[in-house]
Amino acid sequence: MKIQIDGKEIEALEGESILDAALRAGIFIPHLCSHPDLEAKGGCRLCSVEIGGEEGAFPACKTKVREGMEVTVNGPVSSKVRKMAMELILATHPADCTGCPKYGKCELQSMYQYMGVSAERWRKKSRSVANDDSNPLISHLFTRCVRCGRCIRACQELRGVRVLDYIRTPAGIRAGVLEGKSLKDAGCRFCGACIEVCPTGSIMDQVKIMKEERSYAENIVPCRSTCPAHIDIPRYIRYIKAGEFGKATAVVREKVPFPETLGSICNHACENECKRNELNGAVSICKLKRAAAVNDSGMWKERTRKEAPTGKKAAVIGAGPSGLTAAYYLAKKGHDVTVFEKNEKAGGQCRYGIPSYRLPDELLDREIAVMLEAGFQLETQTAAPMPKELLEQGYDTVLVAIGTHQGTKLPMEGNDLPGVYVNADFLRNARHGTPLPVGEKVMVLGGGNVAYDCARTAVRLGAQEVHMACLESEAQMTSTPDEIEEGRQEGIILHPAHSFLRILGTDKVQGVEIQKIDKFYFDEDRRAVMELVEGSNQVIAVDHVIFAVGQKPEGTKQMELELTHGPYIRADENLRTSMEGVFAAGDVVTGTKSVIAAIAAGRRAAEQMDLYLGGDGDISEKLLEDETPSPYIGQAEGFAGLDRVEPGIKTAAERTKDFALVEQPFTCEQAQCEAGRCLQCDLRLQLHRPKLWNEY
Amino acid sequence: MNMSDRIHNLSETECVVNTLLGIVSENECTQCGKCVFGYEGAAQLQMILGDITEKKGKSTDLGQMQELCELMKTQSLCEAGEEIADTVLAALETYRQDFEDHVGKKGCKAGVCKKFMTYHILADKCNGCGECIDACDEEAIIGKDKFVHIIDQQECIQCGACMEICEEEAIVRAGAVKPRCPKRPIPCKRR
Repeated sequence: MKIQIDGKEIEALEGESILDAALRAGIFIPHLCSHPDLEAKGGCRLCSVEIGGEEGAFPACKTKVREGMEVTVNGPVSSKVRKMAMELILATHPADCTGCPKYGKCELQSMYQYMGVSAERWRKKSRSVANDDSNPLISHLFTRCVRCGRCIRACQELRGVRVLDYIRTPAGIRAGVLEGKSLKDAGCRFCGACIEVCPTGSIMDQVKIMKEERSYAENIVPCRSTCPAHIDIPRYIRYIKAGEFGKATAVVREKVPFPETLGSICNHACENECKRNELNGAVSICKLKRAAAVNDSGMWKERTRKEAPTGKKAAVIGAGPSGLTAAYYLAKKGHDVTVFEKNEKAGGQCRYGIPSYRLPDELLDREIAVMLEAGFQLETQTAAPMPKELLEQGYDTVLVAIGTHQGTKLPMEGNDLPGVYVNADFLRNARHGTPLPVGEKVMVLGGGNVAYDCARTAVRLGAQEVHMACLESEAQMTSTPDEIEEGRQEGIILHPAHSFLRILGTDKVQGVEIQKIDKFYFDEDRRAVMELVEGSNQVIAVDHVIFAVGQKPEGTKQMELELTHGPYIRADENLRTSMEGVFAAGDVVTGTKSVIAAIAAGRRAAEQMDLYLGGDGDISEKLLEDETPSPYIGQAEGFAGLDRVEPGIKTAAERTKDFALVEQPFTCEQAQCEAGRCLQCDLRLQLHRPKLWNEY
Repeated sequence: MNMSDRIHNLSETECVVNTLLGIVSENECTQCGKCVFGYEGAAQLQMILGDITEKKGKSTDLGQMQELCELMKTQSLCEAGEEIADTVLAALETYRQDFEDHVGKKGCKAGVCKKFMTYHILADKCNGCGECIDACDEEAIIGKDKFVHIIDQQECIQCGACMEICEEEAIVRAGAVKPRCPKRPIPCKRR
């Protein structure tokens, strides 16, 4: 239908309000208590308008359009109502805008500046209440509440959680939690809708949650933005909760081709950022991914990308996570891809760096077999020609993704004695079934997850006494707390905050001398500084020493590519190396990082190489229909107290017997239960942000 | 009794401003908060009426209440706000002079609004004991032992503390009609 606003004819929809019709047509009418996602109440009267043929002013948000209606926004009566309404609101609202955390983003501020109104002629009143930061995630600054009721409607009607309401306090009526309860006790689900809809600075994200280096959306859903591959975590967790594991896996597969591998061994930086940490521990994002993959229906295959052959050839050196990922997506783009792998099997660090008790061969075989269905050649036990030769052989582009497979030793006395190993050799041999002898006693030098892989492998190979020493204190160690705890259960003797002085022995290793560190830090030049405790030296008698102090690339010097920091390949932000047509990705560029970072780099390489080959660089896949999740999450008994679900794990005695998988995947019930702990932070981003007047 | 009845049936000892303040304060609008004109309007009326009863009324107050209530009448979300507005408008019309007397600092005819009262020490009752001098925080009472004390009206803030402490009932509150009192301390007649 057609209506007229200030003489301008606009198209309006049957049943909509004058306000909605006007805003949609780009005509701004001030409004505060109305919100695009909430039912209009008409309490603030800022949207007052006059209607032809009728007397007085009417709230545009509550008045439905009628065919031929003639609306005047700034008539004498409506202007007067709007002006007085704003004056009345301002008369009891704090005037120190510049001291407010919402300054510059406040709808009230924007609106009164637009209207040019002040509360000068009215009596002032402060309804001050102490700011409350005692709840997790959410700051309450209700001195700034204007009683618009948007948070209350969002909590009650939109979300169905029913925690916020109008409350009576000695300082007046405002939004709040009934009976003075904490948000946890009141049943809050910490979805953040109240924060999202608050027009002023009354309900805010806690300052510590909002990191400056991240965008707004990245801060709101930190798990997704922290994941190097930006897997849509809340979306797949929601499907797991609903028991739709096939859809969940499809969501994961939109970003990564190794769901079960990642579900088993990902370093899950996402969990460190999970907002539920502020309540009672992160959602078990990583293990949920495994549960989804284990119960996958394979539905994702229906929509997978497969483009016509381009006739272009690409070579990938190294079948680790980044090389395989790049090959997988390049093949889908129609390119003819060959992957060269010098080991007998593909997998890279996943196979030869991570022990099979964490990631079994069969699992990797299975996931790689699925990837091969995309149609690329994998040549194992094949030393790849140099990148330049590959180009000469007719490959149009080459990716170097050889990772970091050479262990490093620290320069110290005795480091070349027989019986001294490096991490990479030790783990690779164990995985090949030709383990290096461990004797009775072993010392692992290093404090990361790889050090634990070495130590726990040594236990499984029959070592009676396994020590670990590292410079960092236990709190500073880079290994995950889970790893430290499981290692402790398996009998690993940890010497944190110890310096290694020398390896003792004449013709073979006999012991390691270590000394306690008082302070360990990096100075302003980023050099490690150690202050040792006098007289704390001790010699630990061992038969073998394993260095687990880092790894570096092998064989990059011969590639005629520009290197950096020693053996690492220099690549620009588009992963191009110094040689035209040759790209590099993963650990060989960045240094040893994580499997997920390598996969993300593999995707980036595929995009860039596709562009190089004349493609559009778009490797994205939409493996399932977009479904808009319901904004109504309802109440959940004891939600804030739901403890993190732990999967079944074998006892230390059982698991140290062999290299069998240590941890069971979640059962479906466990997974659905754990998925129910998710705060669904992403739902907040579905809410519409009211546009400010200057955006019209 | 409904609101406008209460306003229309005021006795001689009831002040319209004070009664209206009570009516507004008891109204459910002050306990709701769901609409701006109801809640903030009532809050403004409470503040303005409160000021008027305390001799802090401004010449613009009556016009401002009129203007506010005319909009409150149509722009509140429910009848509660409309009812307040009607009552205030009716009171302003019916008792215009009483409002103007308050705002013009002339006085509170009914003798209800304390700030419009003056306090006086009756010479024939005062025994010059000095209790009231000690009770006055404003040091508004002058006098010495065995002399009739005098209240300095410029300094007095009408708190009534002296009247409460005086055991001789020598101190009285007065509205429009003031008792005759000495201008400066004179020897007490009473011993």
